[in-house]
Amino acid sequence: MRYLKHPLGAAVAIMVGSYLLIDFGIVYIPPLLGMDSAPVPNSVVLQYLATVFAGVLILASWNDERWAEFKRPFQETMVLPERRTLRSILMVALPLLIGLFVFLQVRPTVAAPSTLRSIHPAPPSQIDFRGRTMVLAGLNNPLRADGSISEDYEEGKRVYYQNCLPCHGDALAGDGHYARGFNPAPLSFDDVGTIAQLTESFVFWRVAKGGPGLPVEGTPWHSAMPVWEDFLTEDEIWSVIVFMYEQAGHSPRTWEEDEEGGEH
Amino acid sequence: MRAFVSSAGLVAAAIALAAPLAAQDAEHPGKAPYDKWCSGCHGVEGDGQGYGTEYMLPRPRDFTQALYQIRTTESGGLPTDADILAVIDDGMPGTAMPGWRERLTRDERDALVDYLKTFSRFFETEGTPQALDLGRPLGGGADGIAAGREVFERVECWKCHGDAGRGDGTSAPDMTDDNDDPIRPADLSEPWMFNGGGTVEDIYRRLRTGLDGTPMPSSSDLITSGVASEEELWNLAHYVRSLGPETFPEPAEVIRADLAEGALPDSPGDAEWAGYERFWVPLVGQILVAPRWFAPSVDGVWVQAAHDGRELALRLSWHDPSQSPDSIWDAWRQLVEASMRPVEGEPAGPDLPDALSVQFPAVMPDGRELPFFLGGDSRRPAYTWLWNAADGVSEAFGRGLADTESLGAGDVSAQAEFDDGEWRLVMRRTLDAGDDDRRLSFVTGEAIPVAFRVWDGNNGEAGTRGSISSWYYVHLTEPTPASTYAYPVIAAVLSALLGLLIVRRAQSASATSEDAHPAPAGAV
Repeated sequence: MRYLKHPLGAAVAIMVGSYLLIDFGIVYIPPLLGMDSAPVPNSVVLQYLATVFAGVLILASWNDERWAEFKRPFQETMVLPERRTLRSILMVALPLLIGLFVFLQVRPTVAAPSTLRSIHPAPPSQIDFRGRTMVLAGLNNPLRADGSISEDYEEGKRVYYQNCLPCHGDALAGDGHYARGFNPAPLSFDDVGTIAQLTESFVFWRVAKGGPGLPVEGTPWHSAMPVWEDFLTEDEIWSVIVFMYEQAGHSPRTWEEDEEGGEH
Repeated sequence: MRAFVSSAGLVAAAIALAAPLAAQDAEHPGKAPYDKWCSGCHGVEGDGQGYGTEYMLPRPRDFTQALYQIRTTESGGLPTDADILAVIDDGMPGTAMPGWRERLTRDERDALVDYLKTFSRFFETEGTPQALDLGRPLGGGADGIAAGREVFERVECWKCHGDAGRGDGTSAPDMTDDNDDPIRPADLSEPWMFNGGGTVEDIYRRLRTGLDGTPMPSSSDLITSGVASEEELWNLAHYVRSLGPETFPEPAEVIRADLAEGALPDSPGDAEWAGYERFWVPLVGQILVAPRWFAPSVDGVWVQAAHDGRELALRLSWHDPSQSPDSIWDAWRQLVEASMRPVEGEPAGPDLPDALSVQFPAVMPDGRELPFFLGGDSRRPAYTWLWNAADGVSEAFGRGLADTESLGAGDVSAQAEFDDGEWRLVMRRTLDAGDDDRRLSFVTGEAIPVAFRVWDGNNGEAGTRGSISSWYYVHLTEPTPASTYAYPVIAAVLSALLGLLIVRRAQSASATSEDAHPAPAGAV
């Protein structure tokens, strides 16, 4: 506790605590409360920590006395005769660390080029489905209009097991027996980050046009999603969409909730 | 497609969906999870006739026969509850059956075990099945593996599995299971694909229990008849495990083409290749464009790459139980075609050669846009090395599978050998392709996109019927430049000097202030 009262100790504690919270807390705490979570990308962790660091500096320099106190350990390490050993160690170790860091940066690597891939790119406002224009904005699943969907679920189940299963899997978790063959891995519909966030018209677009129909930001050259309009009728696509939502236990986003639904 | 779904099944599923939970009290607790998660493949009636049945080989299990492959009980016996639960939990590698441990609760899985047993009367009429006492693991080590090899020969495992264990034995071409569906003897060098698990213990258990419903017999009677001892069977299990790599291969995104120190290895048998790391590329059936292929023969290819600054050489090896075309395999091909025919139309026909293609972008992508991984597209064409066992190697340029032109033999050279269920192929080409913008010039120090396709002719594969991969990368390494070592040294020296400067200044500043302060104090 004594060290935490010191401005430098407090600064270190805040940085370490923030790092733990951002890199681990965000991943592991929400599931304890029954909520979903996802890891924070490293670049974002770095941004957050830079922001925290700026705050720490402001806190440390709140007044001249505090700032002097904050600097004192650095000052003393550089000056005091009795810190000579520590000083010597640091003056050798820090340049070596910097050298190592530079080496890790400049050494030749054989990594794949990083691809920024938008998983849910903005859909077009309309598509051409087998020669017919379909306006996606405001479009709802016509099969849900007549009340009961149990027959549509059953038809969708047939379509799913005969077409989608090899990649997306029995459990809709993107881990079918062909999933190992493809990179990026097939989407998991179980995941709250996929169909649960989308309108059914968006899903219809993705199913009908497949990987080759993705805009450039969706890296259409990587996606193994077939162009299903070559295989399936409109009704078959709508029914398999009903099946996916029912089986995964998700509700589609609706246009009433959000006029911009799906465009994100 | 609705034809093979019984109307009773439809009604039952509809009721299960519509009925509120309270109304299902009288129903078996396993029925709801079964209908929801299992019936799509195994059928509402448990007869293995679900919607997905004709889209997978091996077919889903028919529970009405009470014939279970993966058990701890004697050959021909029923499985224990724990056996059924283990398959539900872990799934069956090498098939479409996934593991459900993380997906369903223990109660649901226990209920499923009980529910599966209701599909056959055998579970009522026969007594409680007992697991075999398999004793403690025996044997192993180099001696055990050598002894296991001797047992492998003595009990004729090679008849089905082949001398090298690659599933290419003499009995393999006309092998069917009890439902007359085509079935392959396991490729023993790929333990990660073993239906019942790939550990030595798993293998020993398979040896002792056999795989009921398949041609794989139980070896327990070898012990009773004195042909082999328990220890010998353990050693056989150790030997079988030794046929596969120690750790199961993980696909690496980047295939490293090391800079050769001497001459590039030329033939697939060249011992030099042992010095180059091999990278595993898993392959799956082509199911993107019609006609699709749900019964692929080849499940992956090992890739090694080398270059000498002038030429690129690729060594590709993959397991294929037969050298196609071979009329011995005609019956097999027809059986596979028949099992796939309802799905995707007429077969490709007889006398198809084995083949492999390596695809690159036609030009190095500027930025991150690549051609479509399956044959390229209209905006970004693909350039392909195509080898087949009948005609050798040629080059091709394509804007999609349907729009591909051959560039003739080109200057790619190929040497192939087939040995005991394995193709080994070396393809070479100069890095520089000249001015031809239909043929990629290979650059060093950058990740070059590459994709693979393989066809097994005797399995009825040609055209869109075959195995594919999505994009990987091949990276031709460069000699490490001196700057790689110079920059860190410069950085370290500069920061040390800077550190010295800062400390010096701090010390002189502190000395000045000490000089300044004590003086008045001393005056007091």
